Amino acid sequence: MTSHTTAPGVRIRDLTVVYKTPAGELPAVRGVDLTLAPGTITGVVGESGSGKSTLAFSLLNAVQPPGRIAAGSVEIDGLGDVLTLRGEDLRRTRGRQVGYVFQAAQNSLNPLKTIGKQLLDLGRSHDVEDLRGLVRDAKDLLARMGMDGARVLDSYQHELSGGMRQRVGIMLALVLNAKVVVLDEPTTALDMITQATILRIIREVHEERALTTLVITHDVGAVAEVADSLAVMYGGRVVEHGPVAEVLGDARHPYTQGLIRAIPRLSGDLSLARALPGRPPTLGTLPKQGCVFRERCERRMEVCETDEPMSVNRDGRTVACHATDRHLTLVKRKEFV
Amino acid sequence: MITGTGITKIFKQRGGVLGAREVPALRGVDFAVAKGGAVSFIGESGSGKTTLGRIIAGLETHDAGEIVIDGVPMSSLSHRKRQPYFRRVQLIHQDPYSALNPTRTIHQTLEAPLRLRARQTGRPRSWVDGRAAELLAMVGIDPGYVLPRYPHQLSGGMRQRVVIARALTMDPEVLVADEAVSMIDVSLRLGILALLKDLRERLGVGVLFITHDIATARYIGDDGELYVLYRGQVVERGATEKIIADPVHPYTQSLLSAIPVLHGLERPGAERVVPREMQREGEPDGGCLFARRCPFSTERCESEMPVLGRDGGTEQEHACFHPRRRSVIPVGVGE
Repeated sequence: MTSHTTAPGVRIRDLTVVYKTPAGELPAVRGVDLTLAPGTITGVVGESGSGKSTLAFSLLNAVQPPGRIAAGSVEIDGLGDVLTLRGEDLRRTRGRQVGYVFQAAQNSLNPLKTIGKQLLDLGRSHDVEDLRGLVRDAKDLLARMGMDGARVLDSYQHELSGGMRQRVGIMLALVLNAKVVVLDEPTTALDMITQATILRIIREVHEERALTTLVITHDVGAVAEVADSLAVMYGGRVVEHGPVAEVLGDARHPYTQGLIRAIPRLSGDLSLARALPGRPPTLGTLPKQGCVFRERCERRMEVCETDEPMSVNRDGRTVACHATDRHLTLVKRKEFV
Repeated sequence: MITGTGITKIFKQRGGVLGAREVPALRGVDFAVAKGGAVSFIGESGSGKTTLGRIIAGLETHDAGEIVIDGVPMSSLSHRKRQPYFRRVQLIHQDPYSALNPTRTIHQTLEAPLRLRARQTGRPRSWVDGRAAELLAMVGIDPGYVLPRYPHQLSGGMRQRVVIARALTMDPEVLVADEAVSMIDVSLRLGILALLKDLRERLGVGVLFITHDIATARYIGDDGELYVLYRGQVVERGATEKIIADPVHPYTQSLLSAIPVLHGLERPGAERVVPREMQREGEPDGGCLFARRCPFSTERCESEMPVLGRDGGTEQEHACFHPRRRSVIPVGVGE
């Protein structure tokens, strides 16, 4: 496979993932539709309990008990529905077709083996015949990210800084030429300057290798810097999705609006910034019916108590909100008058 | 009022192929936190900011320099006699999940220090329960809901408020908040920052705010002072708003340039500064500590170490031979 092959598209449809709890099976992700356009970076932003990491695991069909994928499909071009893959097929897909950088990748390396040994293990487990070629590719990737490849491969993880380990994680996710890459909190716990460097590297490597990339994070800023489109998750739902500059510049869902208002910024009026009232729901406190955000919403209406808002797609943007829906419809009608 | 002069801390690393090595964590830092004031220390990991917070809270010793609390130099007192002074400085750290004892209810957590406080101030035992409820209300949570609960039953934001309430049991003069919001959900961060600002105004408690995220420093009060630390040296110091709007040190400019731009709402600054290299461990001293990474360094920077001052007629203090204003922070799209 060369790096010139076209990037695959990913279509997540009606995905529901439940977790077994003493109170029964509760949905961490519910009815999520999300399309990753080929060759783009999609950012998924959410707070604790939003279901964003569960969504990432679903892309690899790697949800662990007590979790279970209860419904839906994840179609990847050239692979089909990964949720139907089992056993050996699934294992080969992971790493080969779908690369993954785990949350806190800097802590997920084996402390007893050098990075080079772990690279060879990865190659053997995927039946790579040309291990020398693999090492060469790894060195190239590391050099690409500003590191001395040979030295890094001879190192143990404790000999590397947090930012270096993060780049090693990215290298391991890409070295088998995966075309779909999932990065879960790639810059958490990194310093600001290191974060900016890693984000730039992600963007550059994404473009050079024609990837389809999903970045999962709690940090709107990190996504704003790197992504093409932005999906906002809350209480297991995607409440808003669209091109990143449009979603940030003209947020339509009240949660997105509140979240943006709550980001500490370097410029702008301090008196306009405020925290969202209430707190994010957990699996146990998710309302059984109606809108998941209504408890904290300043625009809540009667219908929000009973009916879950549907995702409505307009001008390439998706929003799931009764209030927004009505507002936009009214605006549209006025245009026709 | 708490002041520090020439605070110096050297960590001695043992072992390794090179043998023992001395790593300066703080290189003669001067600071002052006034009653009700807000002082922020900004820096990356390895800047010494956490070490400084621990020294001010009396949890760590220093190798040179003097801490003065309420006019009393701490070096003049025995370890025991210092304790009542350091109790006036309370530390709030990053992780509200590990800061509270999981086997105690919030009531028990607050009761122990309040009893001590009651004894110290000659108040009756009955004062304790009322005070616990009062403190929780002050930090913005419902005492009736929180008091009987265990930490695991509370969200991260609530836990951090409990940690702040516990710090307030000692009627502190200064709260040292070390990355106090970095583990809190984004939608709730401003709430904690607004609380710190509110406590300054209502109780006159000083806040020493330690963070790597320079933007958060604006939210504990626009009258605050900012110190930028790099490898144990203060490289820029002045009014928070001033330094964010008009930084002159290339390191401060690099930090500000690294803050993500919210495209759609903001445009990137025209002169964003990117360091030439990433930070390395065990770099030798000599010359400006930032010279090797600085895109603007000259020969002089390699050999001579700049000291904090106002060369070039800047409003803020800086430690740079070539101070120059650069527009590095994002500009609002509408502006």
